[in-house]
Amino acid sequence: MAEKEFEPKIIGFFCNWCTYASADLAGISRLQYPPNIRVIRVMCSGSISPHHVLRAFQKGADGVLIGGCHIGDCHYLRGNYMTIKRVRFLQDLLKFTGFEPERLHLEWISAAEAPKFAEVVRKFTEKIRKMGPSRLKQAA
Amino acid sequence: MDKLREKVRNLLKENKVAGYLGYIEGEGGHPLPHFFTKERLEEVERAIVPPDNARYPLDKILESLAAAYPDETFAIQVRGCDERGLNELYKWGQLDPDKVVLVGVACTQAQADYCECPAPWPSVIDYGEKCEPVLQSRRVSRIEALTQEEAFQEWLGHFERCIKCYGCRDVCPMCFCKECSLEHPELLSTGKVPPDVIFQLVRAIHMAGRCIDCGLCEEACPAHIPLRVLYKKANLLVKDLFAYETGSPVTGPSPWKSLGEEVTLEPKPM
Repeated sequence: MAEKEFEPKIIGFFCNWCTYASADLAGISRLQYPPNIRVIRVMCSGSISPHHVLRAFQKGADGVLIGGCHIGDCHYLRGNYMTIKRVRFLQDLLKFTGFEPERLHLEWISAAEAPKFAEVVRKFTEKIRKMGPSRLKQAA
Repeated sequence: MDKLREKVRNLLKENKVAGYLGYIEGEGGHPLPHFFTKERLEEVERAIVPPDNARYPLDKILESLAAAYPDETFAIQVRGCDERGLNELYKWGQLDPDKVVLVGVACTQAQADYCECPAPWPSVIDYGEKCEPVLQSRRVSRIEALTQEEAFQEWLGHFERCIKCYGCRDVCPMCFCKECSLEHPELLSTGKVPPDVIFQLVRAIHMAGRCIDCGLCEEACPAHIPLRVLYKKANLLVKDLFAYETGSPVTGPSPWKSLGEEVTLEPKPM
């Protein structure tokens, strides 16, 4: 049997006001991007707990992409101040334990940046595809 | 020891405190945590500073005492780590600094070396003398020098020994939450030993900016998981990223407690 090419599973946590809207716009504009991403809409990227990210990895996600408003554009004014703190900390902690921090990525994408959204999803999917299945999945 | 006993005796006699939380020499010379009161003043004769490796989470006992008797002031025996714990508990609103009197004990060099403790003495010293602090943890540096693959295999080997006894959490003076993420069925699988690989990481996240590096978790762990190394690193990250010194009476509040007034970090490039 021919070996199937590895198709990464990617979880996207997108904030309702910016990145989710940019995904919407990308759809309306018919921009192409890989179908590997499963989107979870959240009200603010600042509401994404490190637990949710870890849980996604534990459940077999090969990558986690977090999208939020640019600093200063947060619908809740400073919600994304917490996002960046949590993500940077978690990435470094994952690095220390050898849990492949590259699989977690944060990007600020505004509601108007549909081309950027499609580009980020494309680049991230390709990166994860090259990395192969998550180590955590093999361990679980 | 006489100086310490004298201080405790005076505190009790002058009604400055409702009681002193310290250690007593039990039967057979075994050191036990004990609550000394004015009514049994003669017990102060047997108040001791326990040997290096005999330690109990006195901070945690004080938390329940203070919760039960919110109007009373208590004295407590503290090492450097215990005091850091109290400072952190003050910041998290778990204890009132005006209702705590310190009876300080400086750790021995042997203990400081074993703990790799950067500050092995409290702000008040009633017993012992300051020793050389250990400013860099060799245990952390060793892991940092590993490749990603090596680090993963090493931690996986440790995490897979976990029997999910919750000993680390139960002994931890900083674990005061009534509900615990480690028992949340939506966040971690239930009924499974060893637990999810992320189990220790979930705890490490909660320990960041909170762990005062007393090391009781590691000593309580029946699976000998080097928890301390993980939490030491979590705290180093909090220090590097947010300039927050865990347990310091000066810096604060914890970076996780508020959003902050400005953003100094940027997302990492892909």
